[in-house]
Formats: sequence, structure tokens, C-alpha cells
Amino acid sequence: MSVFWIALFATLAGTVIASLLACLPGLHIYNVMGALVLAIIALVDTQWAIAPEIYLPMMAAMIVGWSMVNTIPAVLLGTPDESAMFTVLPGQKYLMDGRGFEGTMITAVGGLAGAFFLILVVAPFAPRYLPVSQEVLKGHMHWVLWIIITFMLMSEWPKGGNRGPAGWAKFYDAWKTLLAGLATFFLAGLLGFIILTRSPVSHEVAFQNIMPAFVGLFAIPWCLLNIISAADMPKQTVTKSLAVNGDIILRSVWSGSLGGGLAAYFPIVTGGVGGMLAGHATAQRDERIFIMGQGVSKFIYFVGSFILMFVPGLHLTRGGGAWMAKTLYTPSGISDYYLILGSIAVASAVAYLLMEPLTKLTLKFISRYNYRHVSSVALAIIILMVWGITGWIGVFIMAVGTGIGLLPVLFGSRRLNCLGILLFPIACNMSGFGETITGWLGLT
Amino acid sequence: MKGFSHFMSGVAVASFGPWAIEAAQQGNPIFFILGGACGILPDTIDFKFYRFFYEHDVYITPDPLNPDPQYVANEFARAVALAVDEKRYVRVKLVSVRLGADFWQQYSVKIDNEKLEVQVKFGPVVNTGQVPVKGTENRYPTVATAKLKAKVIQTYDAALKVDIFDGPTIGFKPMDNGDLDLEFLPWHREWSHSLTVGAILGVLLGAVAWWASGWTMAWQVFVTIAACYGVHVVEDQLGHMGSNIFYPLTKNRTPGLHWMHSGDGLPNFLAVWISCLFIFWNLYRGVPKPTYHFSFIHLMMVGLVIPGLIFWGLRKLLTLGQNVQMKKGDDADDEWNESKAAG
Repeated sequence: MSVFWIALFATLAGTVIASLLACLPGLHIYNVMGALVLAIIALVDTQWAIAPEIYLPMMAAMIVGWSMVNTIPAVLLGTPDESAMFTVLPGQKYLMDGRGFEGTMITAVGGLAGAFFLILVVAPFAPRYLPVSQEVLKGHMHWVLWIIITFMLMSEWPKGGNRGPAGWAKFYDAWKTLLAGLATFFLAGLLGFIILTRSPVSHEVAFQNIMPAFVGLFAIPWCLLNIISAADMPKQTVTKSLAVNGDIILRSVWSGSLGGGLAAYFPIVTGGVGGMLAGHATAQRDERIFIMGQGVSKFIYFVGSFILMFVPGLHLTRGGGAWMAKTLYTPSGISDYYLILGSIAVASAVAYLLMEPLTKLTLKFISRYNYRHVSSVALAIIILMVWGITGWIGVFIMAVGTGIGLLPVLFGSRRLNCLGILLFPIACNMSGFGETITGWLGLT
Repeated sequence: MKGFSHFMSGVAVASFGPWAIEAAQQGNPIFFILGGACGILPDTIDFKFYRFFYEHDVYITPDPLNPDPQYVANEFARAVALAVDEKRYVRVKLVSVRLGADFWQQYSVKIDNEKLEVQVKFGPVVNTGQVPVKGTENRYPTVATAKLKAKVIQTYDAALKVDIFDGPTIGFKPMDNGDLDLEFLPWHREWSHSLTVGAILGVLLGAVAWWASGWTMAWQVFVTIAACYGVHVVEDQLGHMGSNIFYPLTKNRTPGLHWMHSGDGLPNFLAVWISCLFIFWNLYRGVPKPTYHFSFIHLMMVGLVIPGLIFWGLRKLLTLGQNVQMKKGDDADDEWNESKAAG
């Protein structure tokens, strides 16, 4: 069989597997890819050794499929990962309005638009311009992280202090949410220092090091909130048209690609942060543009960061997918770049086509069962997944993460502050005083 | 402008200091953090500190259990009468109506100077995302009115809308002709939005830097803070509301240039993007032995002009024959409502 057909079948298989797995709440594709990488490493030097022409397109396709389809559990089951966090609130508004299908599909259109943008606009220019920007920016990543942290912490709106006479009581009432936000950020940062310095998770599952904490910080609080407060799900309608036009798609690509691009290029800046920054930068008032823009942003964040490793003259490793692929293969020439771009194009089309039936299937499932029960099942699946992959120690880390992740829920502060788990320790490390802090904490 | 635009402008201004680049190359991010923080600081002072200590003469607090538009109209008219009778500045707080953890009763206050009356209507219940809850739109169809003792001059046409989190403050300022000038959020862009305050802050923190590291650090900190704080004031002057530029030498806001509204998408994006390009250029100038060489014009063409023209052309093409209505806002309203909505 020629390499073309091998790559095509690997792409199709990767897309279908990832799209199906993406419907499961709480499961990140990097967890699956981690297991895949371990299997590939185990088969090296045996007669079953897997060739790069198989696993590279497959990994690219898995990232594409997951980044497109994971909108379904995020919006319909209320179990987002960090990158899908901003899609959930407007997405759930659609769901509670009986338009869950529409909300999900608008995000998927954003993903497809992101694929077009990556392949037709970014990819041809990337080998020429990205090495230039890398040369200029490479010594400055640390302060970029610091200014992102500064903006995140300074831009939160005080939710309280809305009534009563002027004075300290009112000020304190307002600042309760902001203090909770700061506490969330620094507690998550402390957890990050511990996990990144002396992870209690077994080295055999080192790829999943941070996963239990992320699940605890982001997915479980959503599930718990849904279980406690879930209203009855209104009857969902499946529309034939999404009421979007070229102008809306163009403006979504504009805002989403900015956020996703930032997140893909700068280390540790995640999709959620990129989405927040793009939302602030482009000031779009149309809700459809916001939702679609988040689809674009999420796609470009996951897929774009993977592509960076293959850009000739750049070979930048960003994101969990690229780090895992790097343990198996070092890209060398333009043919690798084209192979990955081709795989992404095919996978995007297939994943988009799968979105409609998978969304309808999930809607059918949640309309048949009580939403509170659905959330309970989702919660059980997530906990089992964490236990299965990382054992009881992972469940413990998840519980700690949940405690921190519940702070924003209880005080009404920003959930994005939970990203202190990565931003704070890594910004400290990049600026050169991370070791001092770990020394104070008795970790080194 | 929106907070992020101010923030990035501050970072861009900081990047013009060669000391900032030098420090960053040695792992010290302080000047860039100072730049961004001071860029957004004037709004932070107003929205997160000052407004909670701002005294009001009249609090209009509707009952969540029995929302009565007539009460709001009467209280509003009473506040106007107070300003007219006592010939003094009167501050009024329109308090929001919280109905539950995520639900708020929206109401609007509209002034009709022709009929010399205020009109108040309770609208839908909205969630914290400001989206109306279905079925609540017409629960209170009554429009309550009350006669006003003087004309209340607004600088914009929008009705005062009260919904999520905090309600707005308005100030009635008696004018020479007997009318009242309505100031929306009088505590905003008052003393905090002033070049002098930026300079004073620079001196204070510069003194701390002098004590910690000597003169060189002191003047670098002073310049960074004063310039980055100042760029916020200058940018706000491009809008409608303006700022109190030289407080305490000036007592009132100087009206802005009316070039934009603070919430408009394009000017905000351009401010952010041009700031990014300036930062990139300044970092490039700091690269010791660059492999790639390009000019400022080249950077602007590749980073701004060409993509901008392509985007503009595509939009033209995609909206051919359509009547595209851009939603216009108001400076204060944009900053107030959109900041709240952004969380």
C-alpha cells in the first residue's frame, strides 16, 4: 500500500476514534495520546513497530477530531476542559433556550473556519515569518506570561458591593469576589509548584501528570454545579439553518485566530487565556461571533500548536500533543509539514461531518434522561477515568483541585484564575526565581 | 477604550524604554508589568476602589418583591427637584434589583425633556449574561411617569438601563440657564484620569525605587509609570466623555475628541494590534545580532496594512448589497455595562 493511502487511513481512523472519545466528558485526547505513545515506544524494535507515516497523521487527526467535537460534552453536558470554558456559558444559554444543537454547530463551524485559516492562510506564510518572530521573541516569553497574569488579576470585575451606603463595608463586600479570585490563583499556583516539582503521580504515567488537577479545577465543579442547580432541560429543536453568513465567519476568524494563535505560540498560554484576551481585544458584541470565535480559537490553539513543530525552519514544540510526538519523531523537511497539513485538512472535514450526528445523538440521550442524572453519570465517568489512569493518588490530587476549583463557583469569581496552576510556577521558573520559591516550600 | 487596549498600550509605551528591554533580557519583567498595570490603573482605581466610597444624596432602591416603577419615577423627580431647589450638585444611585443567584430585574429610566417628565419601565428578568429570561418580557407593561422640575440634559440619547451587579450613579449639575446637566458615572474619569496623578504616582514609586536601587532605577520607574499612566488619559481623550486631564488644576472633565466610542470593536483592536507591533519592533531593536533584517515600514506593511486591506476587502465582498448596522454605544455606558458583562 502506498504512503498516501496509509496516511489517509491513519487520518480517518484517528479522526473517528478522537471524535467518539471527545463525546465522553472529562477525557482529554492527550490522555489517550499518552497511552498511544507508550504503546508505540513499547513496539519499537519489534516486528510490530509503527511507522511515522501512520502515527503522525493519526496524532494530528486525533487532535483535530477532539478539538472540534469536544464542544459537545462542554456545551451539552456542561463538562468543559479549560480551553472550552468560554464556550460553556453562552453555549448553555443556547441549550436552556432549546437551541443546544445550534450553539454546538456554530462552534463547529468556527472549528472548520479555523482549519481553513490555518491551512490556507497561516501555513503558506509560517515558514517565512514565524522563524523571524521566534528570533525576536525567544528571550521574552517570561514577561509575556507575567503581563498576562497581571491583566487576568487586574481585569476581574468586583461582583459585590452593589447596595448600601458608601464606605468600607461596601468595599469589603465588593472585594470578597476579587480576594477569592486572588486566593484561587495563588492556591492553584501552589498546587502547580508541588505537581511540577515533585509530582506524586507515578512516573509511568508522567504524561498525565497534571490531568487530575485540571479535571478537579475545571470539569468537576461544573458537574457539581449542574447536579445541584440543574433546571429542567427544555425541548431541543434541530434547526436547518444556523443563521450565520460569511461576514460573521470572517469576524469570528479574526477574533478567534488572534486568541488561538497567541495560545498556540506562547508557552503555557492556554486556549482559555487566549480566548479571554481575544474577547477583550476585539470587543465583539454579537453572541454568534463570540461562540464561533471560541470554536476558531480552540481549534487553532490545539491544532496550531501541533503544526508549529513541523514548520520548516522553526520546529517549535508547543502543547502536549507536540511534546508527545517529539518523543517519537524529529521532523526534518517540508514533506513532514505537507503530510501534517494534509492530514489536518482531511480530519477537519471528517470531524465536521461527524459533528451533526454526534450532537443529535447526545441531545437524544440528554432528552431521554434527567439532566441532573446525566451530570451525575458524567461525574462518575470523569472520576473513574482519573482513577483508572493515575490511581488513588490522582484522585487525591483531583479532590484538591476540586476544592480550589469550587472557590470561583462559591464566590462568583473568575474560573480562569484556576490557571494559576500553570501560569504562576512556570512564569516564576522562566524568570529564574522558581527554585527560590520551591526552596521556601521545601520542595527542593 | 476598553481595559485590554489600555493595558497593551501601557506595555507598548514601556517597551520604548531601552532599560525595559535590557531588564527583560536578564529575566526581570518589572518594567513591562508596571507598564501594563499603569496602563489600566486609572480605570482600576475608579471601578474597584473609588466608587465604593462615593457618597450619594438619593438612593433609588426598588423592592425586589414588588417592583414599582412609580416609586422609581417619583424618587428620580424628587432628586431633580432637590438639585433645582437647593441649587447644588445631587448624586443619585439607581440600585440594581437582584432576584436570585443568577437573575436580575431590568429597568430603564428615560428622560423626556419635551414633556418635562421621566418615564420608568420594568423590563424582563435577565441572567448575569444580560440575556432576558423567556416569558418575563411583558410582566410589567406599565410605564410610570413623574413630572420634572427642570430639563435634564443628557450628552447621549440612550435610556439609563439598570440590570446586573451594580446600578449606575448619575449626577445632576445645575446650569446657569436653570437646566440640569446629567453626568453618568460622575465618579468615573474624575481625579484618577489625570496626567498629574500619573506623575505623582511615578514620583512616589520612583522614591521607593531610589531607596531600593538608587537614582538610575528611580528615574526609569518614574518615566515608565508617568508615561504608561498618561497614555490611558490620552487614549480616553479620543472618545466622547474625556478626562479631568490636569487635576487638581482642572476641576471638570475636558470633553473628548469624539473620534470613537470606548466600546467600538475596530479602534480597540487597532490599539491592541498596533501596540503589539510597536512592542515587536522595540524587541527587534534589542536583538544583539539579528539574523533577519527588516525595516519599520516593512513590519507595518506585513503586520498591519496588507492584512488590514485584505480583511477590509473581504468584508466588503461578503457584505455586498447588505445594510450593515453597527451597534453604537456610549463611552460611559460601554465601559460600565461591558466591563460588568466581561466579568
